[in-house]
Amino acid sequence: MKRPEMKTGLTISALAHAGLLLWGLISFNARPLEARPTDSLPVDIISTKEFSELTKGVKNAPKVEESKQLVEKVAEPRTVDDTSAKISEKREVKTAAAEPPLPEPRPAEAKPEKKPPPKTDPIAETLKKEEAKKRAEERAKAKQQKQQQQKPQPKFDPMQIAALLDKRDPQRQAVTGEAVVPMPSLGTSSGSASKISQSELDAMRARLMQLWNPPAGVQNPQELVVRIRIKLGRDGRLAGPPIVLTSGRGTIFETARDNAIRALFRGQPFNMLSPSTYEAWKEIEITFDPRDMYNG
Amino acid sequence: MNPGDVAQAALPLTSSDLSLFALFWQAHWVVKSVMLGLLVASVWVWAIVIDKLMLFGRTRKAMDRFEQAFWSGQSLEELYGSLSSRPVHSMAALFVAAMREWKRSFESKSRTFAGLQTRIEKVMDVTIAREIERLERRLLVLATVGSAGPFIGLFGTVWGIMTSFQSIAASKNTSLAVVAPGIAEALFATAIGLIAAIPATIFYNKFVSEVNKQAQRLEGFADEFAAILSRQIDERA
Repeated sequence: MKRPEMKTGLTISALAHAGLLLWGLISFNARPLEARPTDSLPVDIISTKEFSELTKGVKNAPKVEESKQLVEKVAEPRTVDDTSAKISEKREVKTAAAEPPLPEPRPAEAKPEKKPPPKTDPIAETLKKEEAKKRAEERAKAKQQKQQQQKPQPKFDPMQIAALLDKRDPQRQAVTGEAVVPMPSLGTSSGSASKISQSELDAMRARLMQLWNPPAGVQNPQELVVRIRIKLGRDGRLAGPPIVLTSGRGTIFETARDNAIRALFRGQPFNMLSPSTYEAWKEIEITFDPRDMYNG
Repeated sequence: MNPGDVAQAALPLTSSDLSLFALFWQAHWVVKSVMLGLLVASVWVWAIVIDKLMLFGRTRKAMDRFEQAFWSGQSLEELYGSLSSRPVHSMAALFVAAMREWKRSFESKSRTFAGLQTRIEKVMDVTIAREIERLERRLLVLATVGSAGPFIGLFGTVWGIMTSFQSIAASKNTSLAVVAPGIAEALFATAIGLIAAIPATIFYNKFVSEVNKQAQRLEGFADEFAAILSRQIDERA
């Protein structure tokens, strides 16, 4: 039984629902959430190598994207700590190098005296001698004067050298590197990322072991272990005499040591070391151990 | 082939369209039927609510009008004459029923007063019961929708999430873009259930109290009128 009032209620309700649904169809569409960009911490997994590369730079430089080290001159890479000091064009003076005194100007007067005296008339001789002596003296004097005028004698006062070095303090040498970088980035000057790889090291060791012939049949092979520090140049050649760090006694050890040094000389250039990591192998220590050799 | 393409290929149904209609249309048929049923329930609930609001307002007004007429000093015979000609409700119906019984007893030749009091009270009780039944009718629908609606919606949601998890398992992809549409459409069922149930519960409570109020008013009037008639009977006897 449908009453008229129920009909009105039903129609009103149905109309209201239809209207609501229509409104929902129009308005209820999924808006993509407009999430504010979160302050996320970008986490990068980096190796220590990359980290040291990151820190490579100059302490008081503005922050820039890439890590760059200040380089003012193209030369063998060398860094300085205080980049704010003035650049000095003078070469760095080393007190050790200044120690050997420069040769004194040779005394010129000794020369004429050595002349053998001719055996003739004594008076004339003496006259001649005196004259000659005078002339020689004059000549010597003139020579000395000339020499003194030409080359002022440098003074070798260690205190003065120290003072000179002290004066150089606020200055510095130009920062050198592979390429000139006028705009360095923030970081530490010693943040060198170059690292010698194990394969490079192994290749070098293999080459040296091939060349090294230690005395065979030794009772105590551990006594033949030779550790040598070498300085290498950019081209992989020895930049200085190898320094033997281990000491031993006996001809057998000496043979082994000399063999090791010889192997180092014969093995160069060590071009298995890549020049990009030169900083890492600029100065390395190598251990020559006969046990390693026989173990293979 | 990038992962997005894989997801698109595995779940052709999930599109970025998340409008209300799309939510309904992409759902499983069980969820769809749940949604439709809940929509119909909601329509019916609101129809009842509107109907009852109108009915209660009308009844209250009619009662006020009748009480005013009843206590205005108008002759009860005249009042009865004006009311009995047309179908009336609530208090007027009570009055008409009692008066009819009264008149019937008086107009008959036998003039039996012995059981008249009881008969009038019985007639009025029956009328009150009928009136209350009229007021209460369909309120049970509201109660049912109010209590069962959330459960029905929840059933739809559970079913939807079940199927969406199945599709996730089939697509072997757990990215939110794959999971979200199925769960959204499933939750839509619960939303409809709640939309239907909340007003149903609120209005059910309101209407039950309203019915109680009107029933008390009717009972009060019935007692008063019974007292008046009882006095009349004692005077005439």
